[in-house]
Amino acid sequence: MKTRTLAMTLFLFSATTLADVAVIVHPSNSNAIDATVIKKIFTGKSKSFSDGSKVSPVSQSASSVVAAEFNKKALKKSSSQLKAYWSKLVFTGKGTPPKELSNDADVLKHIASTPNAIGFISVDSVDSSVKVVQKY
Amino acid sequence: MKTQLTIAVLATLSLPLHAEINISGFASVNGGKVISGTGVPQYDVEPTFLADYPIVSAYTQDFSMKPESLFGLQFTGNLSEGLFATAQIVARGANDYDAKFEWAYISYELNDSLTIQAGKKRLPLFYYSDFFDVGYAYVWMRAPADNYTWQIFNYNGINALYSGSIGDWSLSGNIYGGREDDTNNKLLSDFFFLEPVREIWKDILGGVIQASNDWLEIRATHMQYTNERYRSGEQVLWDGKPQRDGKFYGLSVNADFGNLFILTELNRLDLGGNLDTYMISVGYRFNDITPYFAYADFEEDATDGEHHDTMSLGVRWDFHSSAALKIQYDKVEEHSFDLAVAGDSESITFGIDVVF
Repeated sequence: MKTRTLAMTLFLFSATTLADVAVIVHPSNSNAIDATVIKKIFTGKSKSFSDGSKVSPVSQSASSVVAAEFNKKALKKSSSQLKAYWSKLVFTGKGTPPKELSNDADVLKHIASTPNAIGFISVDSVDSSVKVVQKY
Repeated sequence: MKTQLTIAVLATLSLPLHAEINISGFASVNGGKVISGTGVPQYDVEPTFLADYPIVSAYTQDFSMKPESLFGLQFTGNLSEGLFATAQIVARGANDYDAKFEWAYISYELNDSLTIQAGKKRLPLFYYSDFFDVGYAYVWMRAPADNYTWQIFNYNGINALYSGSIGDWSLSGNIYGGREDDTNNKLLSDFFFLEPVREIWKDILGGVIQASNDWLEIRATHMQYTNERYRSGEQVLWDGKPQRDGKFYGLSVNADFGNLFILTELNRLDLGGNLDTYMISVGYRFNDITPYFAYADFEEDATDGEHHDTMSLGVRWDFHSSAALKIQYDKVEEHSFDLAVAGDSESITFGIDVVF
């Protein structure tokens, strides 16, 4: 019974990860970047990588499917919660949200040519020009 | 003519090449009315709901969209190498949409964790003070009125901002100093004394410390200042003295369990006697719909001192990626006679908040 429940749970989990998001960096970036670091970078709480270099995160349009997935899985926030969070920082001089690029291709191009950048795209769009550090 | 114009436009366009200017903004279009209320007969105040004290957002039994509607624009010039110039202009319905600079400051990032700001800023007394005008950033129609009662809400001065982390905790804090000289203070002039009141808060010195992890956020603050006041040009004396010292203490604890969240604030202003305020609010997110409850209280530690509380029920609906619709019911109870503010009231207010 217990095994069956476990198997079912695993099945359910895998079903919800169909639309996978990949967090990508420049191939030369060798910093340790886990889920906690990603959450801190994309909420403005971390401004540098572990080697001390300045991090430059890029996001995608709030209305895109990949951004909604990323916000929910990596940041544990709905897109409107995230917008409320950033408006609180922007209008009080405490932070600036990551720049929004318009699609996976633009993010891929930007990351491949910017050593200190970090971004996210759907797993299907990943190619060898970037390094994947985390998948959700 | 056209060429000349083009050249002029090009010349103008080429000027800001040094600075990248970013424009963002927020707006709230709100309306409401008092359903029933006592007013304050002894002071000739009709049934009124004072939704925002410092700005005097007063709803009456006639439906109005002016008290709390506002439009704000923020301009940030990035001068590179960590130097920024920011201005925020806000036009409020309560002031007939007369646009004013609410924030105007220069900011310099010394490093990743330290920033120095100087100019005109919001006085960060309460948790929501800094983004009080940005309705989109919080769940209610407004931050609980009984807490956010102080007549001075901006200051001119210097602020040092720190941000960092220890383990899973993010830390931030700031230390600020400055003064505010408000020649015609709106709350005191238009609502309480009905004569021109110049309100001065000088030698302001304060600090805020904030710690947060995944679900818990704690903020503690202290501020002290010296108060001077002139009514119709004549200096007000308190116990025979032309000035008095105020000390403010605040503690705020917020817990967010994903869908369920609890927000609390506890504040004291010691002005020779204690003025205590607190609020507690609970909400639950059903995807885009968030119903909430709030209770807030203001009590002066004195016989028949100022004392009022508000119970609020409302719903926020995030119907669009940059806009929220809210509707709220407020029931205010007045407990003081001599220091009655606006009497008992029940009101309905609703509106749309946007950010762009």
